[in-house]
Amino acid sequence: MEMTAEAAKFLGVGLFVSFGTLGPAFAIGWIGKTAMEALGRNPEARGAIMTNMILSIAFAEAVAIYVLIIAILLILVV
Amino acid sequence: MSRKKALVVVIVVALALAPISFVGGSVGAMITGSEPLSIFDVSRPHVELAAEKPFLGLPITNTMIAVWVSISVLVALFLAGTRKMKMAPTGLQNAIEFLCEAASDFITNVAGEENERRFFPLVLTIFLFVLANAWVGLIPGFGSLKLSGTPLLRNANTDINVPLMLALVSIVSVECWGFRAKGGGYLKTFVNVGQLGQGFDRLLKGKIKAGLGGVFYGIVSAFVGILEMLSHLTRVLSFTFRLFGNMTAGLILTGVMIFIVPLVVPFVFYGLEALFGLVQALIFSGLTLVFGYAAVMASE
Repeated sequence: MEMTAEAAKFLGVGLFVSFGTLGPAFAIGWIGKTAMEALGRNPEARGAIMTNMILSIAFAEAVAIYVLIIAILLILVV
Repeated sequence: MSRKKALVVVIVVALALAPISFVGGSVGAMITGSEPLSIFDVSRPHVELAAEKPFLGLPITNTMIAVWVSISVLVALFLAGTRKMKMAPTGLQNAIEFLCEAASDFITNVAGEENERRFFPLVLTIFLFVLANAWVGLIPGFGSLKLSGTPLLRNANTDINVPLMLALVSIVSVECWGFRAKGGGYLKTFVNVGQLGQGFDRLLKGKIKAGLGGVFYGIVSAFVGILEMLSHLTRVLSFTFRLFGNMTAGLILTGVMIFIVPLVVPFVFYGLEALFGLVQALIFSGLTLVFGYAAVMASE
């Protein structure tokens, strides 16, 4: 089967998104895990842990968002 | 008891409606090979990265109109809240005072009592502006208002010019705060050659070992200055893309979810969007605050 440029583009975008989101996925999971540990050790600090957890998750998520933007650009613009 | 029953009924109906709308919707029709039911037939989300101009010939984009809407919402809220001020606040005035106090406490926690006045206006303004843009964009019917085919309003944060403008304002203010707090000495953050000069001085005086060490550390600190300059420049990019990407992704995600499962499931993502708007507003203003504090406190 021959690979057209269109097919290569979609394949590339799919691979790019799947590999690009690996890092943020691990990061978010790890942030959640450590936040749960902190919560278990120190349940009174719930508010502070929660706020900082959400902030850190948003930072990790930003990387995934960059991946998403480039994927959208690849599909729509290039 | 009747309340509990009503809740159970609502949950059961919702759980039943979701699969029905999925099967009856456009994607389900594609799978089963039948025609989609007309009430669940949602058009495929149409992704448009650049803002569109609803008025032919006029350079007014739909995100611009959305910005005006959110600005007028903010102005109206604050005018109404500060109209007849009382010593013991009630209603809207109370809410606004609570908001300002919370912001003031947050800034005091991060940057200290003496810097609170310096950062408060810009940080709270950025927070409110981003939040208003995000939440005004969630009002039902916001994107459905159309003028000759193009939507009249669109979430302003999804136009890359708005985040870029906010990022530039934020970075320029950070540098201004740095210069105001430290004067010309703030430049040392970027161009740090003092140690290098000292090293050469020692080298010329014949202290080879100390001189070489000084030159080495001088080169390192000069390089750190260049890195610092680069990081200040990349902040603009990361600020812009974080807000723009999150909001655009949210818009597309909600659209896709409505396309796949027209009922019930989009509500979840709708709530998530409200949360993300708040989180992004917090992050944008919080990072401005942290960078500003770092600039004011920059070590020499």
